[in-house]
Amino acid sequence: MAIVVGLVIVVAVGSAQLRRFNAPELDPSPLLLPIYLLRSLARLSVAYAFAVLLALATGHLAARSRFARRLILPTLDVLQSVPILGFFPAAVSVFIGLFGGSALGVEAAAIFLIFTSMFWNLAFGVYESLITLPDDVKLAAQQFGLRGPLRWTRLILPAVVPSLAYNSILSWANGWYFLLASEIIAAGPARYTLPGLGSYLGEAISAGRTDQLLRGLVALVGTVIAMHLLVWSPVETWAERYHMDESGDRPRTPRIARLLARSRIVRGLGRAVVFPAAQQLLGLAGRLLALPGRLGPVFAVSIGLGVVGLAARALKKVVQLFGDRPLSSETLAIPLSLLLSLLRVSAGVALAVALALPLAYLTFRRARVRQAALSVLEVLGAIPATAFFPLILLAMVRFDFGMNVASILLVLTGTFFYVMFNVLSGAASIPKEMNEAAAVLGLRGARYVSRVFVPAILPSLVTGCVTAWGGGWNAIIFSEYVVAGEKTYAVRGIGATLDRATWVSGDSQVMVASLAAMVLLVVLLNRLFWDPLYQHVAARYKMDV
Amino acid sequence: MPATGSPELLLRLEQVEQFYDRKIRILGPIDLEILDGEFLSLVGPSGCGKSTLLRLVCGVLKPTRGKVLVDGRPLVGVNRSAAMVFQSFALFPRLSVVENVAVGLEARSVGLRERVKKAEKYIDLVGLSGYERAVPKELSRGMKQLVGLARALAVEPELLCMDEPFSALDVLTARNMRDLVLDLWASREVSTKTILLVTHSIEEAAAMSDRVVVLKANPGRVADSLDLRGLARPRRAGSPEVGEVVDRMYTLLA
Repeated sequence: MAIVVGLVIVVAVGSAQLRRFNAPELDPSPLLLPIYLLRSLARLSVAYAFAVLLALATGHLAARSRFARRLILPTLDVLQSVPILGFFPAAVSVFIGLFGGSALGVEAAAIFLIFTSMFWNLAFGVYESLITLPDDVKLAAQQFGLRGPLRWTRLILPAVVPSLAYNSILSWANGWYFLLASEIIAAGPARYTLPGLGSYLGEAISAGRTDQLLRGLVALVGTVIAMHLLVWSPVETWAERYHMDESGDRPRTPRIARLLARSRIVRGLGRAVVFPAAQQLLGLAGRLLALPGRLGPVFAVSIGLGVVGLAARALKKVVQLFGDRPLSSETLAIPLSLLLSLLRVSAGVALAVALALPLAYLTFRRARVRQAALSVLEVLGAIPATAFFPLILLAMVRFDFGMNVASILLVLTGTFFYVMFNVLSGAASIPKEMNEAAAVLGLRGARYVSRVFVPAILPSLVTGCVTAWGGGWNAIIFSEYVVAGEKTYAVRGIGATLDRATWVSGDSQVMVASLAAMVLLVVLLNRLFWDPLYQHVAARYKMDV
Repeated sequence: MPATGSPELLLRLEQVEQFYDRKIRILGPIDLEILDGEFLSLVGPSGCGKSTLLRLVCGVLKPTRGKVLVDGRPLVGVNRSAAMVFQSFALFPRLSVVENVAVGLEARSVGLRERVKKAEKYIDLVGLSGYERAVPKELSRGMKQLVGLARALAVEPELLCMDEPFSALDVLTARNMRDLVLDLWASREVSTKTILLVTHSIEEAAAMSDRVVVLKANPGRVADSLDLRGLARPRRAGSPEVGEVVDRMYTLLA
């Protein structure tokens, strides 16, 4: 309870001045770095709290009502494909506009943007956990009279804890990844720069100050690792209690965490701070979430009307945008840009597979090597890819290989870890007997790979590719147009188009068109290619042990 | 326990009918009475609606037509004076044994100390003392059903409803549990004196009940009702009296 209150105070104090926000530049003094870090942490925490509560409400609603499900799930599916830049106009007009350009409004806008990077997977996770609740358990809850808050704390929340824990780690990783973009909000040429770690790093990159960049990176990586060890590992251990034995996708407890869990300090901290905080938060959430249930139809109708109203307004604006003036040359160039970006993302996924497969093959059989590799990867994967950007850009300048290659490498940072983890996990789950049979029959080398290894890991590989594909499109936004060291590096692509429209020209027509095109493409390809592919592979290659 | 004097009417289903999708008749019209203190079994083939009847009695389902009367008054919402034991145990998977058993009391706003005390009492009565902190996935099927039984008894209902409670257990465990249920029913420690058992096993109904209502399927309706209070307790499954009753029921269902 104290932590939550403390963080709220930090945010409130920081934004207490309801004066006109006026800080386009950030003071780069290293002494302010801890404060920037704390402010970023505060923003992330508030966004996360909102994301969890809304995910619980939304996921529960979708699981409970078939009608709601048909509305909610497709909407979530589409919205999660919208890159964060797509939310800038909403953030600016709603939050900044509503609070009259004050500091509070800008903070709210930043928190909203971070929220959009955390929310979707949490909501889907909650939905999936509740959908798989056995019918008889729900009936028992009804029969014993569990209603309202009690139903939440005894039935629903315990059921979603494992998925919430796993997805929280993912959401925070996303949050760190997009921190840069969230703290420097652009509306055309206007900039709202919030004091925080993200903007600190962002300005270091664009101004080319390497020492500032290094300091920021150290702070970032240090914080992420510290959080991973001090927060997420206790949370994972606590969530283990709520796991049902049958579930297949268990988050592995990293070795480092297991070692630390034996340390008395960590355990003490966990028991004194993290566990009670978590339990308290769950109880509070239970009470809050039961409220809409009581208000029932009133709540649903008002939300429905609000959404319809907003949608109508947005639609009107879009029509105006395309009707009032002829399509600009940039807009017309979108299909080609989109195609180029598609090629880059695909290259990123393919490259990730090409790297991950051999690595997985080399390590999966030697358990100790695999554990070490996993630990390293866990830590590296927790570091947001944005921390690797400067290195790649520096290499690009050093080895002079141009932005096309650099952009693919940047995309790779968003795809590699997804593929690697999934493939490693798939390889480790190959039944021992299968390997023994292969050994006895003399299957080695290439024949082993083609007959045993690849078919066995195919479902995991596809899952990895699907998530990497999503990660790649997230990364493309920042990979095709980079301002570093006062120079602009760009290639033709939809990410660059979107970036330019957001940060340089402020051209809404281009923005809306490119967003729509990108979201349409991603959603279509998901439906027409990835989903059927996964179904096909799962049906043929999934092993029922 | 045979009822002495004129027994009270605990619950009554009046001309109850149940439709699926407004067109397909699952059940009815059915009249059913449950008398205070009796062990009543509903027996019938699959599809006869016996589980549906049970859910109507517990109030988790509303009849398409007809009335459910508890103590003479129409039932609104969930039946607070009844508790149910499920065929598939239906334990809350992430709650410990004591939390599961206490959950009905929690819903009735009983304070923490009192409900833990009560829960521990019933956990002890079913013979699971020492397993309070265990979680369902650590328990065998028989133990899980014992928890389900303790959970239902803990709210001290007037009516205990059991939906094929032993059919998911192996033969030996099921037999032990039947004996346990009869012992608890007779025991002074347990206030619940009326039991409604739904089963597809005619032998089970004959061995345990005061009265058996035999149902036929398509649509579900009462074929006949047999009064078994004449059969002395304890009953042995192989005895000729029980065998005769079993034969009679099989004939009814032919």
